[in-house]
Amino acid sequence: MKAFLQLLRVELRRYLRRRAVQLLMAACVAVPLVIGVVTILDTEPPSDTEIALIEDEAKANRQAELDYCTENPADYGIGSTEDDVAAACERLISDNFDDYTEYGYYDTLRLDDQQNDSGVAVASFLAILLLLAGTTFTGHDWNSGSVSNQLLFEPRRARVWAAKALVVTGGALVAAAVIMSAYWAVLGLVAHSRDTLATGDLLDALQMGWRSAGVAAAAALLGFVLTMLFRSTVATIGVLLGASVAGSLLLAAIGVSERWNPAVNLLALIDNGTTYYSEDACPTGPEVIEGDPDETYSYDSCELEVTFSDASLYLGSFLLVGGVASFVSFRRRDVP
Amino acid sequence: MSDLVIETRGLRKEFRSVRGGLRVAVQNLDLAVPGGGGVHGFLGPNGSGKTTTIRMLLGLARPTRGTMRLFGEPVPARLPQVIGRVGAVVESPKFSPNFTGRLNLELLAASIGAPRSRVDQAIATVQLDGRDKDKYKSYSLGMKQRVAIAATLLKDPALLILDEPTNGLDPAGIREIRETIRGLGEAGVTVLLSSHILAEVQHVCTSATIIGNGRLLASGRVEDLLGTSTAHRAVVPDPVRAAEALGRAALPATVDGDAVRVETDDPARITQVLGEAGIWLRELTSLRPDLETVFLDLTRSEQLGDHQ
Repeated sequence: MKAFLQLLRVELRRYLRRRAVQLLMAACVAVPLVIGVVTILDTEPPSDTEIALIEDEAKANRQAELDYCTENPADYGIGSTEDDVAAACERLISDNFDDYTEYGYYDTLRLDDQQNDSGVAVASFLAILLLLAGTTFTGHDWNSGSVSNQLLFEPRRARVWAAKALVVTGGALVAAAVIMSAYWAVLGLVAHSRDTLATGDLLDALQMGWRSAGVAAAAALLGFVLTMLFRSTVATIGVLLGASVAGSLLLAAIGVSERWNPAVNLLALIDNGTTYYSEDACPTGPEVIEGDPDETYSYDSCELEVTFSDASLYLGSFLLVGGVASFVSFRRRDVP
Repeated sequence: MSDLVIETRGLRKEFRSVRGGLRVAVQNLDLAVPGGGGVHGFLGPNGSGKTTTIRMLLGLARPTRGTMRLFGEPVPARLPQVIGRVGAVVESPKFSPNFTGRLNLELLAASIGAPRSRVDQAIATVQLDGRDKDKYKSYSLGMKQRVAIAATLLKDPALLILDEPTNGLDPAGIREIRETIRGLGEAGVTVLLSSHILAEVQHVCTSATIIGNGRLLASGRVEDLLGTSTAHRAVVPDPVRAAEALGRAALPATVDGDAVRVETDDPARITQVLGEAGIWLRELTSLRPDLETVFLDLTRSEQLGDHQ
């Protein structure tokens, strides 16, 4: 155990001193920082001056519409028998100030909205960057040939593989968990200062962040196991790109359900479950347009759910198969 | 417990290509290197299986057949138990290019729990001081070799396996490394030195193994491998008259340029006969084959055997 911990410390030092890993870690901080700053600026509430301008614009637009309504009441369904056309128009045309602030020019910072917006973006970037970190860490060892040198000091290959895997996974998990927690904590603070933080939103967002950290750690481990298998960073990236392109085409060509789409399953992991469209799930019978008084179903009822555990099982099985192949290959194959 | 530090029996290594081709790199190799210090040369032409044998001994490659022992322990099964006593440089030095020489050594030392002072010691031994904090990729090939040799010293090894350790070194560097190797051998470390520079091996080694096409061709003390010779070359002012005088004394001699080549196991007789004939000797050399000649003879006959 002592020897393994010794090895773990060496691998951690090697991981943290690798320049490519340092650059990727810096990117892991920079990308969420940029996305966070953009999100905060994009959702900045309007100033008093801007609100006054919006109110003036809203009032002017309403007045113009009231005038049009008074002149053309029939366009608004107001009958010619109406005694007071102006009052009828007043009733119909509401004060739509909120439309200008909420849905028009300004977004509001709400953490539950951000989870599916900037949160997914940050999680995706982290997963990709940490996958590259896991890949380049071990790819560099193979490329420089230093794996053989390491084995001259610790020939127990299972230990070497496990120590490297633990460092890559643990390093990615800690980095992603800290970054995601910081991301949501900062957004939560800003939302709180703007009075838009609902009860429980921050905890939900943090949980989403921790799930994303788990996904990023798994991505880093995937990068590591594939590189230990192919013994080349370039080969790993090529295989991953090829698999994603060819896999998507294959799924589309043979008409496999979205249930097996890796992207859908990744989203289910990050969002603690997600839904996908499936025609098979649609109720039979005549299609009825949503909003119709006789509506019997909407397109929402054509959606099926992928739970967190479904997605874990599905994607985890790929990781397990890759991991076993990588481990066995490293133990048995000659090292150049 | 065997007295041999390295022992292989019927060792074989096959490489199979994707197209189904088969290449035998090592075939039925019986190697025996005694312990207790000294330098054992491991010779063979390029592609003869030296590096493959070393890589199998160190657990980097799996043998197809045969058994191997280091310090009497079967490897690779018990390699972890003996690797701490084995230092090795296999082929070219392989370290992380963006780390400093020192960091590369520190990481290796830390993986076996060696103290940092051992790194300082190893750096001093190979005279890397002053450049140890430079990036490894900035080193010349000779300096990279020094880092590799320093790495082997981190373990305080009883067996050192060096595969072409003087590759890329300048003449002064070669001499330094040669002296280091000789010193280690004299200090009780057994060194297996794989090299194609035969003069170097002859200078440093006490025993040697010669292989060709993955097969053992000869093994033993260097003196025994070189054998004895009765041929001598005598430089004299008049080679024709000298050859006649030697012939009259029943010493077979032939003119060879400005000298005569004489066959006798007693060189004192040459000086005596020539002196009595009034021919004064300028130079007398024993024409003993050097290791290169022995090596070339052995490997040539191996190739001929293959062709036949």
